[in-house]
Amino acid sequence: MIRFITQRLIQLIPVLFGVTILVFGILHLTPGDPALIMAGESAPEATVNAIRRRLGLDNPLHIQYFDFLKNVLTLDFGTSIRDNIPVSDHISARFFITFELAVISTAFSIFAGLLVGIVSAVWKYSFWDVSLMVITLFGLSMPNFWLGLMLIQWFSINLGWFAPTGWGNPNQMVLPVIALGTAGAAIIARMTRSSMLDVIGQDYIRTARAKGVKERSVIFKHALKNALIPVVTVAGLQFGYFLSGSVLTESVFAINGLGRLIIDSIFARDFPVVQGTVLVLAVMFVTVNFLVDITYKFLNKRVDLN
Amino acid sequence: MKKRSILTSLLAVTLGSVLVANAADAQEEGGGDLIIADMSDLVSLDPHGNNDVPSSNVRANIYDTLTILDENMEVQPHLAVEWEETDENTYSFTLRDDVVFHDGTEFNAEVVRANLLRVTDENFASQRAFLYEMITDIEVVDDYTVEITTEYPFAPLLSHLAHDAGGMLSLDVITEDYNQALEGTDYDYESYVEALVAGEEFDEDVVAAIGENIGEYAAQNPIGTGPFVLESRSPGDNTVLVRNDDYFDEPALLDSVTFKVVSETASRIAELEGGYSHVIGAVDPISRDRVENHDETYLDETESMSLSYVGFNVEAEYLDDPLVRQAISYAIDREAIIAGIYDGVGIEAIGPLAPAVFGYDENVEGITYDMDRAKELMAEAGYEDGFEISLWTNDNPQRVDTAVFMQESLAELNIDVSIEQVEWGAYLERTADGEHDMFILGWSVVTGDADYGMYPLFHSEQVGAPGNRSFIQNDELDELLEAGRQAIDPDERLEHYSAAQDLLVDLAPMVYIHHSNYLTGVRDEVQGFEINALGIYQLKDVSISAE
Repeated sequence: MIRFITQRLIQLIPVLFGVTILVFGILHLTPGDPALIMAGESAPEATVNAIRRRLGLDNPLHIQYFDFLKNVLTLDFGTSIRDNIPVSDHISARFFITFELAVISTAFSIFAGLLVGIVSAVWKYSFWDVSLMVITLFGLSMPNFWLGLMLIQWFSINLGWFAPTGWGNPNQMVLPVIALGTAGAAIIARMTRSSMLDVIGQDYIRTARAKGVKERSVIFKHALKNALIPVVTVAGLQFGYFLSGSVLTESVFAINGLGRLIIDSIFARDFPVVQGTVLVLAVMFVTVNFLVDITYKFLNKRVDLN
Repeated sequence: MKKRSILTSLLAVTLGSVLVANAADAQEEGGGDLIIADMSDLVSLDPHGNNDVPSSNVRANIYDTLTILDENMEVQPHLAVEWEETDENTYSFTLRDDVVFHDGTEFNAEVVRANLLRVTDENFASQRAFLYEMITDIEVVDDYTVEITTEYPFAPLLSHLAHDAGGMLSLDVITEDYNQALEGTDYDYESYVEALVAGEEFDEDVVAAIGENIGEYAAQNPIGTGPFVLESRSPGDNTVLVRNDDYFDEPALLDSVTFKVVSETASRIAELEGGYSHVIGAVDPISRDRVENHDETYLDETESMSLSYVGFNVEAEYLDDPLVRQAISYAIDREAIIAGIYDGVGIEAIGPLAPAVFGYDENVEGITYDMDRAKELMAEAGYEDGFEISLWTNDNPQRVDTAVFMQESLAELNIDVSIEQVEWGAYLERTADGEHDMFILGWSVVTGDADYGMYPLFHSEQVGAPGNRSFIQNDELDELLEAGRQAIDPDERLEHYSAAQDLLVDLAPMVYIHHSNYLTGVRDEVQGFEINALGIYQLKDVSISAE
């Protein structure tokens, strides 16, 4: 186990190194000069040049990259070139919000997904099964920003139940979590259903039933536990997806999280903020995958982590 | 609170939701607490910092300027009570002697000097330096008299001082901001300013220290003299201002103003309709009727001083012929563009200046839609059979639609237009380099004065990034624009600008499309709300009536 963990941690290094090169490369190769964007359509060239010099953007690219890398190694992401606030402040102010959104949405999609999946599997081909599977198909196909806008229209404007924007108050959290978590719930529901049906058809389930184990126990103890492995994989991936999906959800619900920070910073070509934020999200994503791998071990002792 | 059915209340309880009282309902005595939802967050509260409208909107309430523009864009006294020209390059300002900053320090001539030196400091590289770069000397005559000298006679200086970049920041903040930035160098604020005024060369490390660190302290400590004081700020989320009871003029009515960020237009409308915000900026034209017809809201439509235009690169093939440029200008039905693409929001542009701008001449006969005339001109130029040309736009949906409209209109002249959509940053860069044929862009006259509306767009010294992306270079036009900025007599200035507007009709460096309107959604209980032609909310006299 410890060997596995160390191995995975060492693997992190090239992955994150790759991330820095990719992010830096893509950002700097994209046309668009932050100095010009800051100065706007109306500024004279001398102003633009002065800003460019001030930001260190007149240095050759490889020097800018090594400066960036050197700072990252000391956990210094630099300061935003747009508003001069340290990138770490920008990230720490918003990290928890996005994390919270992703965790609650994951919890929602696992809970709703499992519930629907189990119901569908236990009463397969029934009216409920068919209707639930049609609904999940909708949930899967609906873009989350559109769902978000529709939820605002129905539940906030028409019914007045929830606040349309913001984050922090339970009243503000329900709609974004549904908007973000629905697609995940749908995937998990379908995954659980098929995986459960697989397991329920196995011999040991028949044996369990034959020796008189209660149906409830058969479903939850014998079938569900073994059906969970693919579900955990999907849930882990969902969490990563939620981190990126939060970009749109955060815009629609005016949530001040990392997703919106990335979007705003990309438009402003605020290189240090984009680089720092993407790096943090990459670390989070890799960490979650790592945790998912460990979870396998607990669910099924047969899984060999090495 | 709105009436809720038992079912909904139950649901709210079961979900454990703490339903906050709707902001608009939580009204008590006094002017009330105004909530404004805007598309973008402000970038900097430093008056010499970023040049974006959300920042200006907040700063306009925290800082005061020496002069202000009234609704006719004429200059009026504010922190300066009067001024006179001591010679053609110098204005002498008499300042108010009863103005105190939010931190208790006094406003005087020293403060004015420190502010203007800061905004024009080359090492600072303020985005707003261009408004004041013609200033060569600022002299403190006595506590409440200051003389400002410009490099050349520059009449628009008075309107430039009224710009939000001329907001007066506390001298203590300026001193501390510089001292923090200069830490580790041989300078402190006083010696630095001395060297700056003397025009000394600075060492690399000083330039770097200023470049990297200036503005950090000021952005966190926005101390002005204005009617509101900063209460709290959470970047990306909201900014709260409270009333300054010691304001030198009539204090504001509102107790507080909250600027919050809601980037999605549909979500902003939900905020307004649900009473979570009182005012929302940037209503999209499609939602105009919805806001107008809603029971509890109305639409404020104010003419702006902006211009949207289709520019010609006058150095590109075909477009170097003025006849071709005129022909294309005749071939565009601006009314159709406004009605079809801008949903009727805004007015037809006959020249570069919007009617609200000082210097606008209503008698100039611009080019209006006339397809027959367009065809004649094309024949005269020898291009009956047309040619192929490219038209650039960024991803702004209205600009993209305008491009498609142009493509179809110009097909009638046998001009084959290919549309190329370019990302914003690249768009600015490549049009500044002159890689384009035709392009669609806008210009906003931030000072309300014709000088700013024409000089950067059409003067030969301004080609490329400074604004003249048409690359038009014409001696007569140059002379008129220079005369306009130098003449001190307003009537004489008007004459020069009229002549320049006439000349621009023939030169046709761009198709002037339209002057937009600001669409702002406002709740009915908000009293006295106005937005000026620069898009700045006028909040001092706003109050919220109890329902």
